[in-house]
Amino acid sequence: MSTATDTSIPPEAILARLKDVLEDFIEDWDTELDAPIGRETMLLGDLEFESIDIIQLVVAIEEAFGKRKLPFEQLLMKDGRYVDDLSVGQIADFLHQQFS
Amino acid sequence: MSFLQAGDARLAWQQMGEGPDVVLVHGLATNRAFWYASLAQALRDRYRVTLFDLRGHGYSSRPASGYSATAMAADLAALVDGLALAPAVVIAHSYGGAVALEYALSAPDAVRGLVLMDARINTLQPRQWLSDGGKLSAFDKEMAAADGRDWESEPQLGLTFLESMARLRVEGYEPQNRDIFTPFGQGKSGLRGARAFCRLMDETTMREDALVPGADRDAIAGLRMPLQLLYGGNSHNLPSGDALAECVPQSEYHRLPDVGHFFPLSHPEMVAPLVRAFLERLDGAAASV
Repeated sequence: MSTATDTSIPPEAILARLKDVLEDFIEDWDTELDAPIGRETMLLGDLEFESIDIIQLVVAIEEAFGKRKLPFEQLLMKDGRYVDDLSVGQIADFLHQQFS
Repeated sequence: MSFLQAGDARLAWQQMGEGPDVVLVHGLATNRAFWYASLAQALRDRYRVTLFDLRGHGYSSRPASGYSATAMAADLAALVDGLALAPAVVIAHSYGGAVALEYALSAPDAVRGLVLMDARINTLQPRQWLSDGGKLSAFDKEMAAADGRDWESEPQLGLTFLESMARLRVEGYEPQNRDIFTPFGQGKSGLRGARAFCRLMDETTMREDALVPGADRDAIAGLRMPLQLLYGGNSHNLPSGDALAECVPQSEYHRLPDVGHFFPLSHPEMVAPLVRAFLERLDGAAASV
């Protein structure tokens, strides 16, 4: 997978790269998807993520985008607890916001 | 990804924050996510916090053996040495606490302070009965009834109950009751965690290793580093907390009222201020030396 450190990745490229990361990530899980991964896909509801998978996904995203120490806690947590679920679109928007 | 080889295990780890080193150790059937959202975030502004998955858990590998607290203390030693974290404060919950205690006893110079949360210590509490105090939640009672065994005569309550919950989850049992934190209870996705724990119990020496006693009472009484003990007032591990406090008189012992075994997740707001105060006292003591 390619990595990049430039700060102005277009939103559609962010989404595409994020989908690649997710497809690699769940490759061995035997998750049955009703639809291909897209903006509406939910990590817990559709991809059967657990909190540990979210944390590990963060590491994978940071590697794929060549960024470290992105403030993912703003996205993953609310009041010291994990959010109930997260969509692929929310992550893509977060990354776009961080890169612009 | 960040992995570290510790003997025959490959451990997944990550770090956040800058400052004096703190290592967080989770318990059985969970993983580093146990700490990530709560205590790790509460400490990262002043400390470099290292989280890792115990062998057989999370994204670490699952070797066939090596799951006694003493054996897993060697994994912790490999992590601390490999990442050059010493001297570190080690903070641990449940079985991770038993691991951390063995590590602190084997490498006292590497551990600047130790926080044990609701750890059952085999030497001090070799059996754990339903009658060992504690209070059952509606969820506990429901799961105990669904399992159907005679819990009064079960000598390893916590471990057996955890496994029972995992098996019921895998079999598709849907509890009507919930705790604030319910093991394997994360909707449909708790299923993968439950399956992973069943595999750990079925395919490795975990079940036997969990009951292997570590250091004896005299060795524990020789613990010299600052020790904070946090135990749930409703937990069946309280006999271990009481015994540790008696063994190590300089320890700081808090019995947290009205909370159960999983209080670091169910009541993080109770834990963070106590741990921070303990760490600040350690930092103050270090600064005045």
